[in-house]
Amino acid sequence: MSNQIAILLAVLLFPGGVFALAFGLAMKGVDRRVAARLQSRVGPPLLQPFFDIIKLGFKRTMVPAAANETVFLYTPLVGVVSMLIAAALVPITSVYAPDAAIGNLLVLLYLLMIPGIVLMIAGSASGSPYGAIGFSREMALMIAYEGPLVLIAAAVAIRTGMGMGGWATFSLNDIVAYQQAHGSFLFDPVMWPAVAAFCFFYPANLGIVPFDIPEAETEVLEGPLLEYSGPVLALFKIMSALKKVVVLSLGIVLFFPAAPANLAAGFLVWLIKMAVLMLVGITAVRLSMGRMRIDQAFVFFLKWPLLLAVASLAVVVVV
Amino acid sequence: MSTHNVPETFSIPVGPLHVALEEPMYFKIDVKGETVSHIDINAGHAHRGIEYLTTKRTMYQNVVLTERICSLCSNSHPQTFAMAAEKIAGIEVPERGIYLRTVADEMKRVTSHLFNVALLVHLVGYETYFMHMMQVREIGQDMLESIFGNRQDIGAMCIGGVRYDLDDKSIAYIKGALDKIEAETKDIIKTFKTNGSILRRTKGVGVLTHADAITCGVVGPVARASGIDYDVRREAPYAAYDRLPLVVHSLTDGDVWSRAMVRLEEILTSIDLLRVCLRDLPGGPVNINDRPDIPPGQAVTRSEAPRGEVIYYLRTNDTPQPERVKWRVPTFMNWDSLRFMLQDAKVADVAMIVNSIDPCLSCTER
Repeated sequence: MSNQIAILLAVLLFPGGVFALAFGLAMKGVDRRVAARLQSRVGPPLLQPFFDIIKLGFKRTMVPAAANETVFLYTPLVGVVSMLIAAALVPITSVYAPDAAIGNLLVLLYLLMIPGIVLMIAGSASGSPYGAIGFSREMALMIAYEGPLVLIAAAVAIRTGMGMGGWATFSLNDIVAYQQAHGSFLFDPVMWPAVAAFCFFYPANLGIVPFDIPEAETEVLEGPLLEYSGPVLALFKIMSALKKVVVLSLGIVLFFPAAPANLAAGFLVWLIKMAVLMLVGITAVRLSMGRMRIDQAFVFFLKWPLLLAVASLAVVVVV
Repeated sequence: MSTHNVPETFSIPVGPLHVALEEPMYFKIDVKGETVSHIDINAGHAHRGIEYLTTKRTMYQNVVLTERICSLCSNSHPQTFAMAAEKIAGIEVPERGIYLRTVADEMKRVTSHLFNVALLVHLVGYETYFMHMMQVREIGQDMLESIFGNRQDIGAMCIGGVRYDLDDKSIAYIKGALDKIEAETKDIIKTFKTNGSILRRTKGVGVLTHADAITCGVVGPVARASGIDYDVRREAPYAAYDRLPLVVHSLTDGDVWSRAMVRLEEILTSIDLLRVCLRDLPGGPVNINDRPDIPPGQAVTRSEAPRGEVIYYLRTNDTPQPERVKWRVPTFMNWDSLRFMLQDAKVADVAMIVNSIDPCLSCTER
């Protein structure tokens, strides 16, 4: 029983739920402010993402006549719930270890696919042609980036498993524990192809430039989100804030979980890592280039990230 | 199994209100996946009846009205109108006025071209560079505001000359601003030639072949990017252009990148022309300092607006109001070439291709 309560608290309070949402929105606020300063603009207040959610909460949701109302209104909920659970799966070194029953890399991979699928379904349920284009783009992009992700996960699992004397382990706690004992994969040359492939994966998964193609504002007017308004749009914003925390946190778990054993120090180290990852990996990246076209992005992913991911798996198995 | 007939193509509306379009225009695009298979161009959302209004105002009031036809070529319209009136009345513009007309014209060209290329970068999704280019343009806008007192409708022209004058202080200020813009523009050209993000999206996109360009009769940078070496400033010099070292830039690829590049090179040429104008600026009055009646008659004049050739037809009678004013704007000529450029384009590139002709709907639909 206490087990279930612990999982519930992890999903609703920390590290998922309230904490992940607040952290994700705060990251977005900092991201927007830093971006504005780098572009010599003033930028929004740091709390603007929170204000946006509150404002949207008080607005009316318009359902287009062409939309399938049930699907249109309820798919975003699925996305938010999946991300809440996903946030509870990712360990934070010395601070939080998920229950062994749920802390599995494979489960996390499945959960990470759901927001993309939710966007696709929502886009097609809205009945808007822009949503339809967003649907097809999101699908193409998912096909492109999911392959490398699975291979990266397999490489990490096999490296950990073989290191621990077995074949492969998908337990996130084991992955963290192994790296704590034997050094982070970030400093392991064998894992460098996987790290590089992950660097290509997460901008596509988080939908930031150059891979914000399904929601490109100047091309398809935010695609699947075009017809959304009010609280339901707020759900999408909540979903993407949670997803940002989950994906970046997953990157830390997979490649650089090293942290002091002390609870407070461990949490601080995690916060610093997240902040650096966000500023270098999201803000700097999205400011320094333009958007790719979907066909270019697809070909790009079939070339470099897939090649790197296959190479990483091969190297891990052989070495 | 359902025997549902799934249509192979579906149509998406681009416009009349679309974030990527500055002005109201409407494209009904049939797409097959991400590829455009058919395009229907629909105009007429911004009709304001200005041609009719011109016949209700006097010739001198019309200089003000024609300036309001369009914001980005707001200098070319009154200038060409004034040229037509001067032709009918046989008015000789003083030498200093001729040079100052060229100065106003080229300043507007610099800011207009920078604005268009900045928008292209915005559509590519490269927000940081868009902000940077808009800041470079802001140097030009500050220059316009300092000299003319206004950022867009600069009110420089009048029949018989110009309404402003430059002193040594303002000439020195303009030269300083031009130096800044020139350095930045050279930097932008270098970026356009090397930056992967920009090259990837603009090279080979929206191609208008030389033959198609001649068929459509395109003008301005669109024509010059497709290998048509045509510039009114050289073919039929007006103002002081016959005395200036004008270089006409033309490229042969006819894609979005070439059109942007022609504009960027023209900015540098404009800056050179401005420098020569400011150096050779003759003394004397800036206008005829008189408002003679325009006698009955008719005239056709043309000039090179930032978007291309503007033609004005003016017919006057015994009244102070013109009997008929008619203008043909560059966008009207470039508009039809979109059919060729958008054929088999990707949906992602539609807004970028439309932007590359630098469309000005308020001129075209007036």
